[in-house]
Amino acid sequence: MLAVIFFGQSRHMRQGTLIFILLITLYACGKTQKNKADYPLQVGDIYFDSKIDDPNFKLCDEDRVFQYYNFGKGLLYNGEKLKLNEHFIDGLKITEQKDESGFLTIRFIVNCEGKTGRFRVQGMNNDYKEKIFNKDLTNQLLSLTKQLDGWLVGEDEGKTFDYYQYLTFKIENGKLIEIMP
Amino acid sequence: MKFILFTLILICPISTYSQPNCNVYQMNNDQPCYEACTLATTGGGAQGSRKSQEKFDRAIEQCPKLDYAYMEKSVPYLKRGDFITWKILIDKAVELNPTGHLGYRGWCRYQFLRDYEGAIKDLERLDSILSYDIGYSINGDYQLNIVKALCYKALGQKSKAIEIIENQLAQNSYTPMTYDYLHLGVLKIETGDTNGGIEYLKKSISFNDYLAEPYYYLGLIYKKQNLPKEFKENMEKAKTYYLKGYKRFDPYTHPMDKIYLADIERELKSME
Repeated sequence: MLAVIFFGQSRHMRQGTLIFILLITLYACGKTQKNKADYPLQVGDIYFDSKIDDPNFKLCDEDRVFQYYNFGKGLLYNGEKLKLNEHFIDGLKITEQKDESGFLTIRFIVNCEGKTGRFRVQGMNNDYKEKIFNKDLTNQLLSLTKQLDGWLVGEDEGKTFDYYQYLTFKIENGKLIEIMP
Repeated sequence: MKFILFTLILICPISTYSQPNCNVYQMNNDQPCYEACTLATTGGGAQGSRKSQEKFDRAIEQCPKLDYAYMEKSVPYLKRGDFITWKILIDKAVELNPTGHLGYRGWCRYQFLRDYEGAIKDLERLDSILSYDIGYSINGDYQLNIVKALCYKALGQKSKAIEIIENQLAQNSYTPMTYDYLHLGVLKIETGDTNGGIEYLKKSISFNDYLAEPYYYLGLIYKKQNLPKEFKENMEKAKTYYLKGYKRFDPYTHPMDKIYLADIERELKSME
């Protein structure tokens, strides 16, 4: 039936119909691909971005990056969380700043050698809405996070793994109150 | 294999929490929601995977009132530190089923974000809706009134925190949970009631002698009372227990009143 309608058209109309079908097909393909790309392979995956990431930071297995809690040992840091807290309390030079309250989260990867990379920052106010924190505070926290050198390697049954870690800083008027997790 | 099993164990307590009875939808002749509920509650992709998230999206599309799918979809964002996305999704679950999810949201605000005010708000709202017990934290560590007390403690309202815990412990129908006496003991010390501190820390030990923390806090009391023998005994026991793995532990976060090895070692060194 469609063929009868198609071939019954003039040459120009046939060309127009073909272009229309082509555009619809391309749109549909694009739509399908877009839906598939809505989620990364795993929620929270951080892919390499040549504009901001260190190309020398390598993963053991790009396709198998675990989460810190997968190892069942909590935070994997030499000296435990106490050491990590000390690092930030000693290193942060911040005077009180009104309106700088909320949560600043830095996500990153600890690779199978215990080195870190692919840092991403997300700020959130006390109503759980996106917030951009003061540049100085953000840079200080990011830089102190990058300086942490006590990360333990994710290990299970003699094998080492890369894993995702995050640190969330609870800030009240520019003052660091707590560090999670 | 051990690793995979552990991962599954970690996922299960959250993913199986308050799993809905899909037959309710069938009994109400709501076939689309019955199918969506069945889809959401059946396996399909590891938690947080694209396959799993898309499964919940399909379930929500078919049954927009399916709070369970919103809740489950939110979990990986919470565990992986994207709290903005987590909150959008868990808010939707709470909106659709407040009694089903307020306790969970309140607990998560406490556990993952130390959002004490937010947690109290959720738990008090839940209490105002329910005429029965407000339930337990999803990891099974606490009755939620105790969580509320811990939030008040963190906000500096220690007397109120003590009052809430004591009221909860006084309920005839309540069976104390593993850490109730520890927290009450620490609160007593913090408010200057040393005898109360000793009483509840000892109670914590007789209730559950697999924790370094009560020994550590008892040691601090004895140090203050200038009882070096008792101090040393308790601190050394705390260290032995800690090294054995008998300590407060949460695979995702750090529990309140938790101690660290360096704390114990610093104290032991202080008496040398």
